Amino acid sequence: MSKARKDFTQEQETKIIKGNVSAAYAAKSARVQVIGAYPITPQTTVVEKLSEFVDSGSMPGTQYIKVESEHSAMASMVGASMTGTRTFTATSGQGLFYMNEMLHWATGTRLPIVTAIASRGPAPPWNIWADFTDVISQRDTGWMCSFCATHQEIYDEILMSYKVCEDYEILLPKFVAYGGFILSHTSKPVIIEDQEAVDNYLPPLPDEKGWPHIFMDPERPMMFGNLIMPSGFYSEFRLKIHDAHMKAKEKIKNAAKEFEKSFGRNYGNGLTQQYKMNDAEVGMLIYGDLALQMEEAVDLVREEGYKVGMVKLRYFRPFPVEDIINIAKSVKVLGVMDRATAFGSPTGGPVSSEVKTAIEGVEKTAKILPMIGGLGGREVTLEQQTEQLKILIKMNETGDAPGDLFHGTLWHGKLEVE
Amino acid sequence: MFFIGWLVIIKNQKGKSWIKLVESKEIIEIFFHGRGGQTAITASQLLAEMAYEKGFIDTIAIPIIGAERRGAPIMAFTKISEKKQIRTYDSVKEPDYMIIFDTSLLDIPRIKDTIKEGVIIIANSPIPIDTTDFPDNVKIYIVDATGICIKREFMHSSGPILNIPMLGAFGKVTGYYDLEIMEKVLKKEFGEKKVEKNMIVATDAYESVKEV
Repeated sequence: MSKARKDFTQEQETKIIKGNVSAAYAAKSARVQVIGAYPITPQTTVVEKLSEFVDSGSMPGTQYIKVESEHSAMASMVGASMTGTRTFTATSGQGLFYMNEMLHWATGTRLPIVTAIASRGPAPPWNIWADFTDVISQRDTGWMCSFCATHQEIYDEILMSYKVCEDYEILLPKFVAYGGFILSHTSKPVIIEDQEAVDNYLPPLPDEKGWPHIFMDPERPMMFGNLIMPSGFYSEFRLKIHDAHMKAKEKIKNAAKEFEKSFGRNYGNGLTQQYKMNDAEVGMLIYGDLALQMEEAVDLVREEGYKVGMVKLRYFRPFPVEDIINIAKSVKVLGVMDRATAFGSPTGGPVSSEVKTAIEGVEKTAKILPMIGGLGGREVTLEQQTEQLKILIKMNETGDAPGDLFHGTLWHGKLEVE
Repeated sequence: MFFIGWLVIIKNQKGKSWIKLVESKEIIEIFFHGRGGQTAITASQLLAEMAYEKGFIDTIAIPIIGAERRGAPIMAFTKISEKKQIRTYDSVKEPDYMIIFDTSLLDIPRIKDTIKEGVIIIANSPIPIDTTDFPDNVKIYIVDATGICIKREFMHSSGPILNIPMLGAFGKVTGYYDLEIMEKVLKKEFGEKKVEKNMIVATDAYESVKEV
């Protein structure tokens, strides 16, 4: 390993690249050792780019495993991670659903696998465009989950993810999700960091002494995932997984802090990132690509004299309950925009339902307006986003929620149908 | 000319509108129309790279991906900005420039409708294009990109590689980048070997694009 580390070099440079390529560069910078590759739109170019890197020799020592399905992709990651290697794969929508069984395996075995998700709408009807329902529907697999708003954030977040996941107190797998096509296939300038700086931020993985319980080694035979009777420690293992999620919040904050110190880019406190919330009366909680465009909308509406702000939700799991409570206390009306669905939940939107749960019983919190929009990649324009903020402003002024709610939630930008 | 006050009408859900004065149009938006296989999507990406190389601080290339096939209409956008960070991912509705790889696309009403007042069009055509029903103040440049590609044998498996001459023409018309910048970016993108031929067609287009 130490020899290989000298072999690949990368100086800091800015490249105009697609979000998927940004994810591939992050995996390269993180020196992942095993990649399980299976194509699915819109993720495919992540593993394509990685195959180019491996083939051209710019990722020496990395094993690129071509598998026959997403289920096997995750199985290969589980196997590889058990040998104490840094692993990476990427998928989308239906592919992620097919992985589901092995996702639970990764959490239960406490393996720090990082998976990039170019999110797409679940079928049917067949859809390949941005919609976070795919990754959010894996909520209870125990994977950590965060969203990216920019091409640079994809690169940065993957590096930060390894930092958090590989922490000995955490040891959990994680999704890094970004909107299919909206980020995966558009190109923007991305800074690829100097390899030495990344190596300092992300040191090599520990050996069998550091991770004794997951380090598979023929010299030290051990059993994984064996049967546990109801009277055994099953509940206690589950409790520890939840505990790791709770502990991860602090680790995520530290990873973001350290990242800013090393590379100069700020991502709020790691869990959430606020924009012009200091004096805001009305706020919008939003995640993924829509968050970047919402910043522009906030500026436009502020030019008209309204005190609006927004919060980018970076992490969905662990859910930043403390942040959400503070935000809900600081404004009078809080919109929560979901580009995802949670059918039959209190609001129909996964994040807005969680926000309502988080502030339950807390006094003097904002009125929450759950919103859903942009499903299946439907374009959300800047104009629509300024409109959404105006709806919140009006709600603050009149005290009434808009009249055209659908089961308590504003489905914004939907087509008019008879 | 892009930094003067600009009126933007924002329509709300129920059709009520309000008018807002946006300080300036700091982000230049380019709309590409092409057909599958004509390399328009690569053009949107290369344009972003060339603008960045020239010193624009932010760029974004946005392809519209559906179920593409050779010959099907393709749309792509590039936004470039000299000073301001670009924070939008939405499609371009009021482009400053349109690059049209195939003028037969203008026979399709929904594509012709994307031509807006005041836009500057650069079209791949050996002859002036039919401007019947065009909105006011549309400025048109033509370049015979197909002719240049055929003459210089700059082809791929299903036809001429139009993006390089179209981008050469765009550089000349706008002055956003020159042939030197193009060469630098193409070298980075396609390697030393292929640059020479690329630059021959780019130069041909750079020199022959004309206003009509």
